[in-house]
Amino acid sequence: MARAPSIGVRVDGLSKRFTHNVKGDVYAARDVSIDVAPGEFVTLLGPSGCGKTTTLRMIAGFETPDAGRIAFGGQDVTHQPANERGIGFVFQNYALFPHLPVFENVAYGLRVRGQAEAGIARDVAAVLERVGLAGYEPQFPAQLSGGEQQRVALARAIVIRPRVLLFDEPLSNLDAKLRVQMRNEIRELQRGLGISAIYVTHDQEEAMAVSDRIAVMQAGSIAQVGSAEDLYHRPASRFVAQFIGRANLVPARIERVAREVVEVAALGARFALPNPDGRLATGQAVRLLLRPESIRLASAAGESGGVAATIVARTFLGEKTEYVVACGGETLEVTGHDSNTRGLAPGTSVVLHIDEHAAFVLGDE
Amino acid sequence: MATVVAARPGLRARAFGDPALAVTVGALWLLLALFVLYPLAMLLARVFVDQGHLSMAGLAAIVGDRHQIAAFRNSLVLGALVGVVGTVLGFVFAFAATRCRLPRVLVRLIDVAVLLPLVSPPFTTAIGYIFSFGPRGLVTHGLLGIKGVSVYGLTSTMTAEALTYFPIAYLALRPMLAAIDSNIEGMALSLGASRARVFSTVTLPLCTPGIANAFLLLFAASLADFATPLILAGNQFPVLPTQAYLQITGLFDLRGGAVLSLLLLVPALVVFLLQRYWVERRHYVTITGKGAGQAPFDSVTPAVRVALLAVCAAVTLMILYLYALLAYASLVVAFGANDSFTLAHYRVVFTEGLRAVRDTLVIAAIATPVGGFYGVLVGYVVARRRFPGRTAMELTSMINYALPGTIVGIGYLIAFNDPPIVLTGTALIIVACYVFRYGATGIRTTIALLSQIDRSLEEASQGLGAKSGTTFRRVTLPLILPAFFAGLGVVFIRSMTAISATIFLVSIGWTLVTVKILENLTELALGPAAAFSVLVVAIVFVVIFAIGKVLRRLRAPGRSDVTGLLAT
Repeated sequence: MARAPSIGVRVDGLSKRFTHNVKGDVYAARDVSIDVAPGEFVTLLGPSGCGKTTTLRMIAGFETPDAGRIAFGGQDVTHQPANERGIGFVFQNYALFPHLPVFENVAYGLRVRGQAEAGIARDVAAVLERVGLAGYEPQFPAQLSGGEQQRVALARAIVIRPRVLLFDEPLSNLDAKLRVQMRNEIRELQRGLGISAIYVTHDQEEAMAVSDRIAVMQAGSIAQVGSAEDLYHRPASRFVAQFIGRANLVPARIERVAREVVEVAALGARFALPNPDGRLATGQAVRLLLRPESIRLASAAGESGGVAATIVARTFLGEKTEYVVACGGETLEVTGHDSNTRGLAPGTSVVLHIDEHAAFVLGDE
Repeated sequence: MATVVAARPGLRARAFGDPALAVTVGALWLLLALFVLYPLAMLLARVFVDQGHLSMAGLAAIVGDRHQIAAFRNSLVLGALVGVVGTVLGFVFAFAATRCRLPRVLVRLIDVAVLLPLVSPPFTTAIGYIFSFGPRGLVTHGLLGIKGVSVYGLTSTMTAEALTYFPIAYLALRPMLAAIDSNIEGMALSLGASRARVFSTVTLPLCTPGIANAFLLLFAASLADFATPLILAGNQFPVLPTQAYLQITGLFDLRGGAVLSLLLLVPALVVFLLQRYWVERRHYVTITGKGAGQAPFDSVTPAVRVALLAVCAAVTLMILYLYALLAYASLVVAFGANDSFTLAHYRVVFTEGLRAVRDTLVIAAIATPVGGFYGVLVGYVVARRRFPGRTAMELTSMINYALPGTIVGIGYLIAFNDPPIVLTGTALIIVACYVFRYGATGIRTTIALLSQIDRSLEEASQGLGAKSGTTFRRVTLPLILPAFFAGLGVVFIRSMTAISATIFLVSIGWTLVTVKILENLTELALGPAAAFSVLVVAIVFVVIFAIGKVLRRLRAPGRSDVTGLLAT
């Protein structure tokens, strides 16, 4: 398949209102703006009802926005019908045509475009080869497994050489193992084609695995856009901190602000952290974000320094052990990897060593 | 997000953005206005307008007549009795089919026995009843030797109607009982409840909406039934549909007939509203796909099982017996008097009766494809496209279907007898009546089928670059083909068997087999009447099996069979 020049997608101030029969007018999307660079893979991530699917469907042309603009590679497509936008859309339920065999499902978009029969046969064969379904041409969708249906949906979307690839929770109907395999294949395929992709999911791990950048959505608006690392280590809000990974948000107070470092009092101790931005002031109440794996756990016996705590619960998960510890009125989640935490049963007194470089200060909203 | 609809502005933009849709919607409204709203309006005008003024005189004349008020009361009593008896029978059959672990063969046998009255002309049971219990009946005259027995009245009418219509209750209740997760009943049993207690505290409450619905369906069917009371009710037990008919054909009082049919509208409307706004909101049973089918434990004790099967067997045998009498009567010289074999009655059917047979087939042959297409088109437009007045169109398209046939027939008679639109005496008026009355089944099937087909299929096509016409032709149409064929089947069967509306619309030029059967009955030519009935049942059965074959071949995503559609 020839590689077409990549184009980007620009979404500017997109809004969509729905009339709910109980709540009245509700914003499904409110002033959503995203820039997708040519060839980039961007994920819209958020809990159900956050507006990510509505946003994607507006980009596809299945819904008309009440306000805002959508451009593909600089060309305004806001009022263009979906069938003229040149999109490749992969639906959550795959939406395979149940009355057509695999070959005709994949050939559908080419036939609509009036491509010659020989070209259709060649392109369909090539794309089925590419997704590993060569030889499946005469089968009907109902005869395929979930993973195979997913591949047909993928083949049908890319065979038309779309300008933009759009995915609406494409993996949510697959079992856990297949999901991991398919997300890698999708990512590889998209890289190989060089087509910009927008991907919707509620699964943060999936989002982190496939995306160049992630846009976290909350209640119709974008809460933060950034790389997985940005979102994980430097979340813009408590919502993002708690939605991406697991988070301990400990009440804290700013003791001293310097150019590079802030000193924070929390859990009865003082911590010196990198200064995230210039807006923190001495005396301000904040939240200290401590990821479970950035806290090291040690037996209280024979340890000096650290914060005193007590084990409340322990869950052994093989590669790691999850602890819940009580510490000065707070309950924290801690991940233990070391073999020296082996004997720490509930009730044991421990000390916590906190990695100050992995901690992050958030405003106390 | 299921409870969310698009805000207004988008809706309007799309309605005017598609010229093909605008033309289709406009044409459909024109037809609905002409063949649904106009006749109904003319009927109301005939009742309430006198020489250009609003007048209650017509209404008062009928309402003040003790005889007519009795007919109104009789209709309600008959409907209620048929509703109760038919629902009980239907429930017993449905319960036996889903809870008694019957062998497959026996379930099939029940299905066929139930199919017979459902697809026959509405008065077939009544004729069989006469052959069995009438003055010359096999039981009354032949076995018991009773002379001068009167079969006519409430009991006979009620029995014949209950036997005719209980299959509707069976078909409504059976999926409901099958859909109850047997684990729920098993759970109650495991908590220590007796089988009787499980039935009364779990099974029955879960079925209550279905039972109420079945009762309403039967009540409405009985209320609208014209043929059975015409044959069996007699002079002592007048009911509204027959009174309206006699008022018009006997007394040439079109206005009186219109008033009587309008009295019928009141209970019919109450039933319709109850169904739509009460029953439909109380369905707790959702079909999960799991747990359906045979119960994993014995829901009934052996004694109860025997009792249930005995009732089913008795009713089934009764139906088969009545139909056997009908077949027998068509083959003997004079039933009850001269039992020697003859084909003379069939000779009558194929000589002087041939015109009626030919007319019926011609009308069915026109109405069937037109009605099938109309059903799919309206169903698609209403279910999948957005335009102003969509819900109004859906409701309007159901009016002629929901109304008793007597009202529709009289409405057509009044509306199309005088200019500007004169259709009386033509085949068109009968065809239009069938299309707009029975095409509604196709509409409902199409809507139901489309609601099972995810909208993303059409979006996928659109996203791949197809225009709306291509999407409809290549994706939607193949998927709703089963609804089209099912709709065809229903229109054809009803075209062959219906009578309540079209009895007012036949003419010298165009007549129908069902009307011919009634004529034969009133002339006491029972043999030819039986022969005609056998012929109609035979044709209908052939068509049902042919359509069943087509539907199976289509391997459709949604299951729909003609029998089920006739019941709703």
